[in-house]
Amino acid sequence: MNGGLGYRRNWRSNRGLFLFVTLMACAILIIGSRIGLLTPIEDSVAVPINALSAILNRVALRLNASAGDLAQIQALQRRNAELEEALAQFQAELVELREIASDYQRLADLLDYTSTTLNMEFVIAEVIALDQNAIFRTITINRGTRDGIAVGMPVVTRQGLVGRVIQVSATAAHVMLITETTSSVSGRLQTTRAEGSVFGAPNGNLVMGMIPLDAQAREGDLVVTSGLGGNFPADLVIGQVTSVRPAENGLSQEAQIRSLINFDTLEFVLVVTNFQPVDLSVFDQVGRN
Amino acid sequence: MRTLVGVLLLGLAAALGSTFMPQIRVFGGMPDLVLLLVLSLAVFHPLERAVTWALIGGIFQDGLSITPLGASSVGLVLMVFFIDWVRGQVFGVGLLTLLGVTMIGTAAQKVILLLISALVGFPIRPLETAMYVILPTIVYNVIFLFPVYWFTRRLSRERARHPERLTRP
Repeated sequence: MNGGLGYRRNWRSNRGLFLFVTLMACAILIIGSRIGLLTPIEDSVAVPINALSAILNRVALRLNASAGDLAQIQALQRRNAELEEALAQFQAELVELREIASDYQRLADLLDYTSTTLNMEFVIAEVIALDQNAIFRTITINRGTRDGIAVGMPVVTRQGLVGRVIQVSATAAHVMLITETTSSVSGRLQTTRAEGSVFGAPNGNLVMGMIPLDAQAREGDLVVTSGLGGNFPADLVIGQVTSVRPAENGLSQEAQIRSLINFDTLEFVLVVTNFQPVDLSVFDQVGRN
Repeated sequence: MRTLVGVLLLGLAAALGSTFMPQIRVFGGMPDLVLLLVLSLAVFHPLERAVTWALIGGIFQDGLSITPLGASSVGLVLMVFFIDWVRGQVFGVGLLTLLGVTMIGTAAQKVILLLISALVGFPIRPLETAMYVILPTIVYNVIFLFPVYWFTRRLSRERARHPERLTRP
């Protein structure tokens, strides 16, 4: 008992030193992690916690879906009426689009051009966690280097673009969502082909900025990736324009975009494994030289 | 409370923080269970043990984030030392004091994390993060502190019954 009290007094008398040593340990961890020395430790920490997260995430999504179902019954009834009306309109448009598609196919054959999206190879991954720190909008998926996942690979779902892989371990990967405020995707309005840059707003929505003032952007326009910059393949769906307004600088337009994806309830995603992002850093070096 | 139990609780809190908590996200803010658990544990346990939990809790958080290992631990460790310092200044750290420490601690932990993220090369947006992440997280943490504090107080009753366990190195 006396030894124990002495032990406690010892720590208390050296509190400053104790704090210094602890912070140094943190600094060593951070540096080791950044230069890759701690990758095996990070992997071994991640494996059990990712496994637990995967189980809890399934439960959370089921609960969320059940709660959402109850709350949305009334909304669904209203939406159903709207959709029936829209369906009649879209059926007419479908006939027209089928004609255009067959024309496109013929032209594409003639030009020997194949859309990159048709040649994509995917790895299906389960979303096992969302970013713990809330500062960054990222998700963790249960596929890593063992499954052929590499940094830079685009991540999609049937509803459109989700983000891109930014960190990979042997069995898991972190994906930066397109709703992250520091993310930027080159986008294009499908109808007018106007280019812009899609980034995440702080409230979690998507915004397409840098749209030229003379370009027509309307509510309901579909936004797809343009492929400019080489980070994403072209023609992946990003979302739909919900409103347009002039940008604060007055030099361009800004469109609010609604993604078809609910990024907080993602269950499965597809990683595009045969797309290689273009490394433009070489041009920076040439410019500096 | 044994260290292993604390470690398991922190692992569970980290996993809940990346699965259940994002479902109730307001803007970018959500309850930080690991921070709340570490702060509450620090009230009822000696400094050296609380520091261990702060280090491990931070490592669990970073395991589920893109931040480098140890980045989240810095803020947690500093907050644990702050609680220890407060304990030395006043008669005891109660729920009200802890409420204040939680508000300061949440902001401090996120700011420290932002600084470390910027230092290691992650792009950050400080003002937007303050508005849309830190403020909602503070509100959430204040609400969630009550159940977490109640839970850790119950656990600490074992400590009161078996004080000799704490003196084990």
